[in-house]
Amino acid sequence: METLAQSLVSGVLTGALYAMIGIGLTVVFGVMRIINLAHGEMVMLGMFGAFWGHTLWKLDPFVSILVWAPLMFLAGMLLYRFLLRKIMPGGELNTLLYTAGLSLLIANLALFAWTGDYRTISLSYGMTPVRPLGIAIAIPLAVAFVLAILVTVALWLFLSRTNLGRAIRATSQSAEAAVLMGIDVERVAMVTFGLGTALAAAAGVLLAPSLYLYPTVGELLIVKCFVIVVLGGLGSVPGAIAGGILLGVVESLGAVYVSSTYKDGIGFVLFLAVLLYRPSGLFGTGK
Amino acid sequence: MTRRLLPALLGVAVLTAIPLTVRNSFFLHVCILVLMWTVLGAAWNVLGGFAGQVSFGHAALFAVGAYTTIILYLKGGLAPWWGIPLGGLAAALVSVPIGLLCFRLRGPYFALATLAVAEIVKLVALNWESVTAGSVGYLITTLPPVRLLGVAVNWEGKPPFFVTAALLAVVALLLTGWLRSSRLGAYLVAIRENEDAAEAVGIDTVRAKVLTLALSAFLAGMGGGFYAFYFRYVDPDAVAGIGLSMEMVFIAVVGGLGTVGGPLIGAVFLTAVAELVRDRFQMGHLIFYGLFMMLVIRFMPEGIWGRVRRLTTRVRAGA
Amino acid sequence: MALLEIEGLSRHFGGVRAVSDLSFSVNEGEILGLIGPNGSGKTTVFNLVTGFIRPHAGAIRLDGHSIVGRRPHAVARRGIARTFQIVQPFPGLSALENVTLAAFLRHPVRQDAEAAATAELKRVGLAERLHEVASQLTLMDQKRLELAKALATRPRLLLLDEPMGGLNATEVDVASDLVAQVRASGVTIVLVEHVMKAIMRISDRVVVINQGEKIAEGLPAHVVEEPAVLAAYFGKRVA
Repeated sequence: METLAQSLVSGVLTGALYAMIGIGLTVVFGVMRIINLAHGEMVMLGMFGAFWGHTLWKLDPFVSILVWAPLMFLAGMLLYRFLLRKIMPGGELNTLLYTAGLSLLIANLALFAWTGDYRTISLSYGMTPVRPLGIAIAIPLAVAFVLAILVTVALWLFLSRTNLGRAIRATSQSAEAAVLMGIDVERVAMVTFGLGTALAAAAGVLLAPSLYLYPTVGELLIVKCFVIVVLGGLGSVPGAIAGGILLGVVESLGAVYVSSTYKDGIGFVLFLAVLLYRPSGLFGTGK
Repeated sequence: MTRRLLPALLGVAVLTAIPLTVRNSFFLHVCILVLMWTVLGAAWNVLGGFAGQVSFGHAALFAVGAYTTIILYLKGGLAPWWGIPLGGLAAALVSVPIGLLCFRLRGPYFALATLAVAEIVKLVALNWESVTAGSVGYLITTLPPVRLLGVAVNWEGKPPFFVTAALLAVVALLLTGWLRSSRLGAYLVAIRENEDAAEAVGIDTVRAKVLTLALSAFLAGMGGGFYAFYFRYVDPDAVAGIGLSMEMVFIAVVGGLGTVGGPLIGAVFLTAVAELVRDRFQMGHLIFYGLFMMLVIRFMPEGIWGRVRRLTTRVRAGA
Repeated sequence: MALLEIEGLSRHFGGVRAVSDLSFSVNEGEILGLIGPNGSGKTTVFNLVTGFIRPHAGAIRLDGHSIVGRRPHAVARRGIARTFQIVQPFPGLSALENVTLAAFLRHPVRQDAEAAATAELKRVGLAERLHEVASQLTLMDQKRLELAKALATRPRLLLLDEPMGGLNATEVDVASDLVAQVRASGVTIVLVEHVMKAIMRISDRVVVINQGEKIAEGLPAHVVEEPAVLAAYFGKRVA
């Protein structure tokens, strides 16, 4: 029973971070109808940002997020403005291939620069877990979880209360109508892409102390990310949250009760099962 | 008709001349690589260029072919001319359920589904040790002692591999050419243009896509089988990694989607880049693949061969 | 026995009942008008019959055989063709290529298919435009193309979804004549239309649906005077 509770808790904690990655992807899709295959690399860059910040400048990752998130936000905006925007008129498959190339480029540049060795961040307070109610929770993961919640709340407030946030939601529902309403759709797209990138990188920073870091982790993450957004419905932020937590829990339970070597594969199998029985996704999209 | 026939005959002439005249082992090796990549690029092109279905998981099909062929040889002594086609067949068979499942999605969603499938195949290859020998993989130490027309084949040298690779490449290009002018090829164009309209006029879109995938898988599987014999070592990292999938995409895209000659051009380009990079940087060729893919999509989405054909058509029309 | 029989057909989307217990028949050789206010479910009926979506209840029979659950291409093969409200050509291909693709259904050999396609294109009046790219055609010509594509599959039953939409008065007359000619060649037609002039001119019978339910059926002249129909279109006070 304790193992079940332990797995569930781990699953939810990790799931929240998966959700954050998924939100980044889904928000970009909602506004621009593109799936950014390089999204996983954005997470990876956040992870390594945290790593180098800690290794070179003794920056605590949870502090360095204040540096990396805005930086990646800017990077995302520039990426959209100067690279992606010219590609998009070529169609969604071309854009997909382009982001695939970008993903390849970033991952392998990182591989070249930092080698494929697995890295870890060891934090002084990460050694001993806390044990509320007898369930062991690693402190870095707990902190990450709390921060992820804060970020998600902040995002929700942004999307629902600010003008720009509303503009983003409007464009996501209908770009044509948004243009007619006087919304600068191009600006919205640029900001959204920056936002998506920043969310991915931030999730990377938060996850960094809890995982093994390597430059090609994006390959695995993008597939998990896709599982999440298909489960939750592309374009839906609540869906991404639900999907992320679901995946986290399924993986955690799967690792304990099925097989830990195939842990990563569980998500993929779940995804394919969903495809088989509910081709339009759990929440009704997929086409 | 003559426009296509002439370069084809020229190509065949060159292919026959090379193993007879060239002695430089390295040059032959590079040619073999180009031919192998042509097969793989053509395989991807059949699905991605003609059917318009972007797959990022083709390595899985390549892997099925590679494992099938190497296992058939190591456990059953099956010679290459049986093993390689059987590898292709195995890949084609495996591709059917994959297609039936994944073709429920369209466009980018399909692409990501193939990514998931490929990851699963890789995981299976890593963990199903009784069949795939896990991360240890399979190694060929002695090559088949076979005779062809009474002459013992010397597998230590490059020529037999060159001939095999050349045959496969010719088959791949012929198959692609057939597809382009066939009714199935026309159906694929219809599906690309407007899938709903295609269904409405009686085109069985699922069957067309599954058949095309099977064809693509057959070629990819044979490529895998060839790889097994030439490189003599098969393990999950070598044959099921995403890098390989991306290389196949790269060849087809850079060469020219939906063209017959594109994969050959793409293969030449890819091999050239790989060799140049290896001279300077030892690894990191994937960096350039990514970069070139981005450049091609941005500036030459029809690929090198596609651009060449466009220019020559314009020249002919203008003249 | 009628050519097409629809019985108790129902389909909802979430909470919305798009089609509700709908029943009507289409007799061989007739032109049946299917009318109703916007959003009454007419296109959904077409989508259900042609297999693009599945009904939640009810029967659809062609020549007495159920076609429920068949995919669109199989329905086309059985002899039901349709046009779309918003034309759906193969945009980058020429008119001839468009129709040839449809002709392949009955003529597996390319040359035969092309010949059949050319004949259909001539029939609809696109003889001069065989090699023009579909997306470059005028709206009227695209509608002709849409019709030619459907006819090339040699249907017994043709479902036309608002073919007159966007056409001016003269074009409507030309289109109506074309539809009548198609029927004269032996094709049964169900015509969904808002342009009443066309419906009144060429329909033999009319079925009126509102909010997914049938509210009237009969001769065109009678149906348009029925209170239920007037209420549906203009509101209860007018009726």
